[in-house]
Amino acid sequence: MDTAADKDNFLQLIHANKGIIIKICNSYCKNKHDREDLAQEIIYHLWKSGKSFNPDYKFSTWMYRVALNVAISFYRKEKRSTPLLSINDLHINIEEPPLLNDETEKNIQLLQQFILELKELDKALILLSFESKSYKEIAEILGISETNVATRISRIKDRLKQQFANHKK
Amino acid sequence: MQDIELNDIWKQYDQKLEEARLLNLQSWALNLQNFEMQQKQKVKSKLNKLVWQKLFLVIVGILYVYVLFLLIYYSLQWSKIFFIVSAASIAIITSIAIIVYIKQLFIINQINQTDSVVDAQKKISILQTGTLQITRILFLQAPFYCTWFLTTAMIAENPGKALFITLPVFLFFTWIAIFLYRNINYKNIHKKWFKILFSSPEWVSLIKSAAFLNEIDEFKKEIVIQ
Repeated sequence: MDTAADKDNFLQLIHANKGIIIKICNSYCKNKHDREDLAQEIIYHLWKSGKSFNPDYKFSTWMYRVALNVAISFYRKEKRSTPLLSINDLHINIEEPPLLNDETEKNIQLLQQFILELKELDKALILLSFESKSYKEIAEILGISETNVATRISRIKDRLKQQFANHKK
Repeated sequence: MQDIELNDIWKQYDQKLEEARLLNLQSWALNLQNFEMQQKQKVKSKLNKLVWQKLFLVIVGILYVYVLFLLIYYSLQWSKIFFIVSAASIAIITSIAIIVYIKQLFIINQINQTDSVVDAQKKISILQTGTLQITRILFLQAPFYCTWFLTTAMIAENPGKALFITLPVFLFFTWIAIFLYRNINYKNIHKKWFKILFSSPEWVSLIKSAAFLNEIDEFKKEIVIQ
């Protein structure tokens, strides 16, 4: 991944998958600064691990593995006082999209908040499920059995639905 | 609320993020090489610190074992049997701890972000809780520090003291050592005695990793629906 063409391809891939990266960052970090640091760290690790990408694997499986491993390790690090990765003060910023109508925006924020409250591994599981990954692919990414994936997803969704119901009361 | 409504909220979230932008990505990526060098340097210095720390302990441990064997060699006589057995036991236990340290040095090289999430996170947490493993092994030495000074002459002179003081103390420390060896484990971090033993601040990050190891084990368990 050292040539300019490689770098262009890589950037295109990142742009095509920016939604996934931002969703992972939003699910693991509460504040904007940490989210941007995590986004940088994920992109850096994707670029670095790209050299060892095995084409026998599905690209998305590989990408989720790297991104989630980085996110979980990042989340567990001690509180940082300085940005993790900066080159001459150049920092990736996440420009938030405009707000949607009140009801939709409120639901999205609630869902984000409920996901933030989940355990680290459960967050990974529900993210993959919402991204419409098959049980088989989720099992491969996380390293657990398909039946375990199915039962856990159903439990987490029940919990989320319950939280929405409680909120509306 | 139904599953489909949850999925709809997610889809709306997805659509919203279509318009999100990662600013500075282009110029940031142009500097990726510099960045990689910086990062490598950082990781290297962190890992080096960890590796040097462990290597230092391995070297100190080897020297300690060497000194113990020298002392044993120069004490080879029946009257010093207690010293010989105690020192040999301490040396063997220290050697086991050294082997565990060396094993951890190998794990450092095995961590790979492209492994499945559960595997990668478990390796990282095992490495972080390594000190816990060493501590439980080293506790096994405790009873032998109660016997190394005994000689056959001391016992012959005052058998009552040996029987009613030294032996119970030895047995008590043996029980404590075996209990701690069997129970200093990330599965017991919620227990009161564990919290008291590892309450100082330097153990905090280690305990967090231990808690995460518990979470990983829990996550891997199949859920049985009644």
